[in-house]
Amino acid sequence: MKKIQTLYLILGIFFFQNCQQQSSEGVSPTGNGQGGSLARFTLGEGFLYTVSDFDMNVFDINTNPSVPNKLKTIKLGFGAETIFPYKNMLFIGTTTGMKIFDNQDQTNPKLLSTFTHVYSCDPVVVQGNYAYVTLRNGNACTRGQNSLDIVDIKDPKNPLLIKTIPMQNPHGLAVDGNNLFVCEGNFGLKSFDLTDPLKPVEREFLKDVISYDVIPNDKKLIVTGKNGIYQYDYSDPKALKLLSNIPLE
Amino acid sequence: MKKILLFSLITLSFLGCFKSNTEPYYSTGYRPIYMSRTEIEKVSVTTPQALKTPGKIYIKDGYLFVNEVNKGVHIFNNKDPKKPLKIAFIQIPGNIDIAIRGAILYADNYTDLLSFDVTNPTEAKLLNRTKDIFPNQNFPPYTGINFECVNNSKGTVVGWEKIDYNSPDYKTTKFNCYR
Repeated sequence: MKKIQTLYLILGIFFFQNCQQQSSEGVSPTGNGQGGSLARFTLGEGFLYTVSDFDMNVFDINTNPSVPNKLKTIKLGFGAETIFPYKNMLFIGTTTGMKIFDNQDQTNPKLLSTFTHVYSCDPVVVQGNYAYVTLRNGNACTRGQNSLDIVDIKDPKNPLLIKTIPMQNPHGLAVDGNNLFVCEGNFGLKSFDLTDPLKPVEREFLKDVISYDVIPNDKKLIVTGKNGIYQYDYSDPKALKLLSNIPLE
Repeated sequence: MKKILLFSLITLSFLGCFKSNTEPYYSTGYRPIYMSRTEIEKVSVTTPQALKTPGKIYIKDGYLFVNEVNKGVHIFNNKDPKKPLKIAFIQIPGNIDIAIRGAILYADNYTDLLSFDVTNPTEAKLLNRTKDIFPNQNFPPYTGINFECVNNSKGTVVGWEKIDYNSPDYKTTKFNCYR
């Protein structure tokens, strides 16, 4: 009897170690990673898109993933800051507005529309029929205003401003189902209930968390800011639960 | 009347000449910061480094990548978000943005685009460098200002510094360009 117990124990340890080894495996050779809303690099299925001040570059990374092959450069005008992929479209935040590109042909994004607003710094994220754009005043965008704009993009050729909600100094943002998170720079991090996609209701305002950008993933939120990296669990969206903090050194 | 106007115009244009010849004339301006090819290409994978100025963030397969503004990328094993472990640093001068498809990390290195194999994140390997993908900063990111014209033989412009009366290099800086 004792022998069997010992055997089980040894087997147990063996499998446990095996499991541990599994969980410490490296980066998988498939799939795309996930960035925040301030990203200027984004991916398609085998394509890399980068935006810099004046233009967007399209790279083939399918044929030879280690050597990106530039397929084309698309002029964007002035002040391109962020790029966000959604379904078959690319949303580009610029200092003068949001540009929507049709990306069904991933080698050749085509401009569908430009949603113009006042001169601001502005990332954009999209969910369903709505784009959420933050407009921020500061540094390179001194003439801007501070707000969150909700834009109807049901017809991406004709985006319509639905609502402007005043903010303090919004930077990056993220939307995940009924949750909307807005980084308010030095003012903190805001969490909204987005049950009604047109009526975000503020749930929490963490004033100590200086925040620039966020990534939501599997009900966990990663926040970056001047004071370091914070991670929260939002399985209970009413109250963000702090998981860890990576401080500055 | 027309003659006076013409005369004033000519006088004014001469004044313009005098002003542009008197140097340094403008009170403040910008001067390019150059970096040599060798410095730009100082890319390496090192042990974890101090997190000082976190920039953009990126995740893949339980790993968290945090840009250290203009310096490189911190890699964390984040499989347990309660205990993120800093495991390596990729030194990339001028890095701001990254993206990862499969196990390949794409990163900007000032004007260049790099790709790394990050299958084993503690032993990331540089796979490729594509030069001159991103625009050179041939003028400061402001308008209505004076600056020293860029001389590309001095290297790649990686930034701009403000020069005024108090700067030690004030007298040697020529604000010969305007934007």
